[in-house]
Amino acid sequence: MRTALRSQTTATPRSRIVLSAVAALIALALPLLLQESELLLVVEMLVLALWAVSYNLLLGYTGLVSFGHAAYYGVGAYTVALLWSKYGISPLIGLVASAAVTAIISFFTGLFCLRSVRLYFALLTLAVSQVMFTIVFEWYDFTGGDNGIHGIELPGFLSSAPNLYFFVLVVSVVCMLIIKAIVNSPFGGALLCIRENRQRAAFIGIDVKRYELIAFIISSTFSGIAGGLYAFYDRQVFAGLLNWTKSAEPVLVSLIGGMYSFFGPAVGAALFIFLNAFLTRYTTYSALALGALLLMLALVFPGGLAELASLARARLLRRGQHELETDETAAAQPTASERKP
Amino acid sequence: MTPETILVQSLGGLARAGVLFMLAAGLTLVFGALRVINFAHGSLYMVGAFVGATIVLRTSGNFWLALIAAPLVVALLGGLIEVSVLRRIYRREHLIQLLATYSLVLIVGDLVRLIWGAQYLSISVPNIFAESVQVAGQPLPLYNLVIITFACVTAVALWALFYRTGLGRDIRGAVSDPEMLGLVGVNVPALFTAVFMIGAFVAGLAGVIIAPSTSVGLGIDVETVVEAFAVTVIGGLGSFVGALIGAVIIGQVEAFGIMWVPRAALAFVFLAMAIVLGLRPYGLFGEPER
Repeated sequence: MRTALRSQTTATPRSRIVLSAVAALIALALPLLLQESELLLVVEMLVLALWAVSYNLLLGYTGLVSFGHAAYYGVGAYTVALLWSKYGISPLIGLVASAAVTAIISFFTGLFCLRSVRLYFALLTLAVSQVMFTIVFEWYDFTGGDNGIHGIELPGFLSSAPNLYFFVLVVSVVCMLIIKAIVNSPFGGALLCIRENRQRAAFIGIDVKRYELIAFIISSTFSGIAGGLYAFYDRQVFAGLLNWTKSAEPVLVSLIGGMYSFFGPAVGAALFIFLNAFLTRYTTYSALALGALLLMLALVFPGGLAELASLARARLLRRGQHELETDETAAAQPTASERKP
Repeated sequence: MTPETILVQSLGGLARAGVLFMLAAGLTLVFGALRVINFAHGSLYMVGAFVGATIVLRTSGNFWLALIAAPLVVALLGGLIEVSVLRRIYRREHLIQLLATYSLVLIVGDLVRLIWGAQYLSISVPNIFAESVQVAGQPLPLYNLVIITFACVTAVALWALFYRTGLGRDIRGAVSDPEMLGLVGVNVPALFTAVFMIGAFVAGLAGVIIAPSTSVGLGIDVETVVEAFAVTVIGGLGSFVGALIGAVIIGQVEAFGIMWVPRAALAFVFLAMAIVLGLRPYGLFGEPER
């Protein structure tokens, strides 16, 4: 009985290793399995997934709702594009610069927006992002206004779709793992504490505003990297990348996937891109279909796909437990006493 | 800039403020009583404009019929939305409510496209208002003054409704404590439906009124709701007076912003919003969230 229990407790990490290995294998095999256009769709999913996961550091882990995250996504994309078009700097260096530029900008905007809380914070981020959008939209001499910047040339080795895919895959996965490490660190714990109760967090000595500002900067910085990757994917940037309609995307995707699970937003991103491509191909009324799906989500599964998954897991577990109980009824008792000696 | 142009420009801004106020009043009313941020408010306005324009076109110019019938249609649509969607999500967090109303924006937008197609509808200003008046030697469309008048009448009517009727007393009760209101025997769900229908009615009215002075097309829903939001937030969510003052501020900011940098009017709107929230985090007349 003991061995059975032990194997059960070690089952989670082992299954996780297996799961990661399978995911890695699939990721490696994708260029062989998919056509080029489908592979590019996956690239788009990866970009949005990174953006959504970094956005969710604010939404799901700190409890801050930003309605203006497209501003940082767009600034990241424009950093890559402008450095290339104005100064002939390689997009690879541009990608690093996009992180730095968004970090600096988000320090100031975060400082300003965090003066307000909750709903009003959300609306301030919206206002600030719309001002940034208009600057990009109107500053023809520098940003090209609503013409945008086209034809970004990538380094030679990124010209083939599989190579671009692997590059975006590595960058986005590494970034997501860094965010995961941040979430699992004591700092991440403090953020969760702030999310649950700002007042209590302050009582136990957490400098709430400072932690929120740092989370805001981290989230914006990785959003900037995601935007930079977008410039790699599309090889063009346009002002719409900063507009509020774009800001809705990470919010939607996080809600679809489930904002209280780390990879939920990434799964939501994949589903969102897939649905968009699928619906626009098969119907002219894609917004109607997407709207109906989102409405159903809001009414029936407000926890997103993550809630669905945990419901399914609970049902499976219950079935498993039932079998276990009929086998060895006493199994639950010793574990309980072992846990608190 | 001469004093004359300033006067004419600010009157144009007031007309814009009139329309924005009619939308913001509904938004702020719905937020105050139902605690829901109704992102689909602009969609109701768009439906009002489309239905109103269609009535005018079909009856060869009966603007007055449109002015009564279209808002009623929109109010019915609002009632349907409240009963079928909003009623289920009052206890959820703001974000889920926003997701639901956002999906309504997508659904209503595509339904309008399904019914009317992607073309623009344009109707002319009713004959008696078609002239221009001379203001300080400059021509000003009489219809601008009509819009301002309509907005004032709406404001007075809403005020009378809130402060001089039993329904208004119940609505004010719902704003301060819906639970207590239920305990004293008021049918709160029915009241919420009524509140939402009033907001929808006023949004539909705004849609009909704006229809002759612009071309009615897809996209005016989102365009307008964002501005109406700015107005509501500047005034303070839930505040009726705030909606009025916010509308005047945003109307003027737009009117003069357009003169300065023609295509960046919307940026000035958001700049104004950022400044007001920076100074007063809950808007001019708002109260901290409960």
